[in-house]
Amino acid sequence: MIPFVARRLVQSLFVMLAVAALAFALFRFVGDPVSQMTGVETAPEDMERLRVELGLTDPVPVQFARFVGDLVTLDFGYSYRTRQPVGAMIAERIPATLELGFVALLISLVVGVPGGVYAALKPRSPATQALLIGTLIGVSVPTFVIGILLIFLFGVQLGWLPTFGRGSTVEIGPWRTSLLTVDGWRALILPAITLGLYQLTLTLRLVRAEMMEVMRTDHIRFALARGLPLTSIHYRHALGNTLVPVVTIVALQFGGVIAFSIVTESVFQWPGLGLLFLESIRFVDIPVMAVYLVLIGFVFVAINLLVDLLYAAIDPRIRVTGAA
Amino acid sequence: MRPILQLAALASAGLACTLPASAETFRWSSATDPQTMDPHAVNAAPVTSFLNNVYEGLVRRNAEMAIEPSLATGWAPLEGEHGWRFTLREGVTFHDGAAFTADDVLFSYERAASEESDVRSWFAPVTGVRVVDDLTIDFVTSAPNPLFPDSIANFLVMDRGWTEANEAVRPARDAENAATRDANGTGPFRLVSRDPGIETRLAPFDGWWDDAEHNVTEAIYTPIGNAATGLAALLSGEIDMISPIPLQDVAQVEGREGFQVLEGLETRVIMLGFGHDREVLKYGADAGAPNPFLDARVRRAVALAVDVDTIGRVIMRGKSAPASQLLPAGLSGYSEANDAPVGFDEAGARALLAEAGYEDGFSFGLMCTNDRYINDEAVCRAIASMLARVGIDAELTVMPVRTYWEELRADNFDMYLLGWSPGTFDAEHPIRFLAATPNEETRVGSWNFGGYSDPRVDELLPLIQQELDPAARQAMLDEVAAILQAQVAYVPLYVEPLIWAAKADIDLVQRPDNFFMLRWVRVN
Repeated sequence: MIPFVARRLVQSLFVMLAVAALAFALFRFVGDPVSQMTGVETAPEDMERLRVELGLTDPVPVQFARFVGDLVTLDFGYSYRTRQPVGAMIAERIPATLELGFVALLISLVVGVPGGVYAALKPRSPATQALLIGTLIGVSVPTFVIGILLIFLFGVQLGWLPTFGRGSTVEIGPWRTSLLTVDGWRALILPAITLGLYQLTLTLRLVRAEMMEVMRTDHIRFALARGLPLTSIHYRHALGNTLVPVVTIVALQFGGVIAFSIVTESVFQWPGLGLLFLESIRFVDIPVMAVYLVLIGFVFVAINLLVDLLYAAIDPRIRVTGAA
Repeated sequence: MRPILQLAALASAGLACTLPASAETFRWSSATDPQTMDPHAVNAAPVTSFLNNVYEGLVRRNAEMAIEPSLATGWAPLEGEHGWRFTLREGVTFHDGAAFTADDVLFSYERAASEESDVRSWFAPVTGVRVVDDLTIDFVTSAPNPLFPDSIANFLVMDRGWTEANEAVRPARDAENAATRDANGTGPFRLVSRDPGIETRLAPFDGWWDDAEHNVTEAIYTPIGNAATGLAALLSGEIDMISPIPLQDVAQVEGREGFQVLEGLETRVIMLGFGHDREVLKYGADAGAPNPFLDARVRRAVALAVDVDTIGRVIMRGKSAPASQLLPAGLSGYSEANDAPVGFDEAGARALLAEAGYEDGFSFGLMCTNDRYINDEAVCRAIASMLARVGIDAELTVMPVRTYWEELRADNFDMYLLGWSPGTFDAEHPIRFLAATPNEETRVGSWNFGGYSDPRVDELLPLIQQELDPAARQAMLDEVAAILQAQVAYVPLYVEPLIWAAKADIDLVQRPDNFFMLRWVRVN
């Protein structure tokens, strides 16, 4: 087991290095930060001086070495745009994104799992058809369109929910939460639905397919033949077996929820990481972009590593193949 | 309010505890959060506009953009040397209670003119600043400078004591300092809280020297980057005012009861520029061939071929105004004598091209932004198709503004789109930045990407800058305007519109510089 873990850790390190290299390469093409940091009347020589101060005139390998060195030592530097320390900026925005992602995932599970079970058990019912078509529309329409539609319906026309922002927040130590205020929950509903819709569709269809598969297996047939109560068969025996792959996929998708919250955050002016990243692109705020990209890369790598290790712990065959 | 909204408002009243509590809480929004609260750190419109509510300068602009006394009650040219003497207002205090004196002005000058500052170009003509007494200060300049008081309207004054106590003596260059997030001005509003990118709260300053025209008791600013979200926030009543809104949303706001659209003209002229110092074309099928734009007849043909009225009517929805010069009509120094736009004449354009030897046309590269000016990409596409009708083929490259200036500075264009808003609201400004031959030493022509150069313009610029007699000055400005038109140095297209939207019960002033001043806001 130990060599396997060590090997996976080393691989993950290489992936992170590749992510850093890609992010760094990207910065060559996002634009000129100095043009964004100065006004129109700034003299070219003052811009040049700023460029030197920021180290943008150093040779590319030197810049890359410094970039990786800073990341490794967790010295994230200061934002070009706001001059705040990047680490603090990111840390301030993480709660908003995590809470949004968590609630979105919760919605997708609470609706997706029962919905999937229902669709599997009653494949021909009109409600199932409606559910399947509805969720299909949900994935086909771009997220920002869904967001804007929800805003105009519930925010503008009906006036039930706020159209933007996070509502009132409460600070618990460094964590700023909107989950403890009525206002915060009201602000959370629309963005969480928008972000969770894709996951919901995925979960629903996965549960439905797995459930139909499991219902055909021998042990369910035996259970049926033995005359066990239907609820027990459906929810204990069938659903239990269905959930193993569902949990795996959902866990893997959580990284995606965090990474792809950019669009939702932008549409709802949700003050999370994604919005910060978008603002940073607009201003060519390279230090913030760098840390964001590497952080997202890290989330994906960490989740994948964790899943791999769990699998290895559960299934010895993976370890054996890995060692061969 | 429409019935459905009324019902909804009733329904949500029970749930919503954050809707405007009192009538005088004013909430507004724009697309870009000011990066900093430091008045000398970034010379960018979102920052300067916002901070003019908190800090004040020696002079300020009124609703019609004219200069009026602010922290200075009067100013006069120095005797026996070049420069200006400012008499300061008595009894002014900063938000923290400290008294305002000439020493604060001196300190602010030193701070704003320092290497760390982004506004130091305003003080390029200044050779020294002298405190005469607590309420008198002299700015000595190297040459006569009639426009100096106008040029420092956005020079915002900080308190020496506060800045020193908080270790913010120079603008933050690397790490933020106290002045980045906090503020201590003399202005009508004081900063209550600042949450960068999320929310900034202001409250009226009780000790303000001037009589408040506004009736705001609390002002809350929220940046909303997405235009559709911003519009929804206004229509749902969560914010009271937003600037700008997209042209295509004007009808939607106007069609709703309880809302108003504020329209005006900004001071920005949109124009086309050429590579005047380029021997060969860089883009298109004819890349490498001799540059046709070196011939003034070809440049004039471009001006004739672009139908500015149609662009204004269709793409700018009738809200723009045609331009004839590098600054809009009505600004100081605008040349009435050269007021006529070139006009649209396709046959004339063809004839000129034939005369220049390009009857078969040619192909070149046109550079354009897609996120800087109103509908900029659509305007460029229209221009390209209009040029195609007279036989010249513009290969269009569009890019976001964050990469645009870098490309233009690297000479990567044959023709380009540019918008220019004169920071001093005077005709000298575009001449200095766009028409003067680029010169590192005198720091002129820094936005003259095409390297346009005319000896007479270069000769006139310093004279214009120093001329004290308005008539003589205007005569020289007229001459420059005539030269630029005759040579078609640029093709001025139109003046950009300014579109804000607000609830109908809000009174406010829309200044052409797109600054939003809370001191004129009344919530009815």
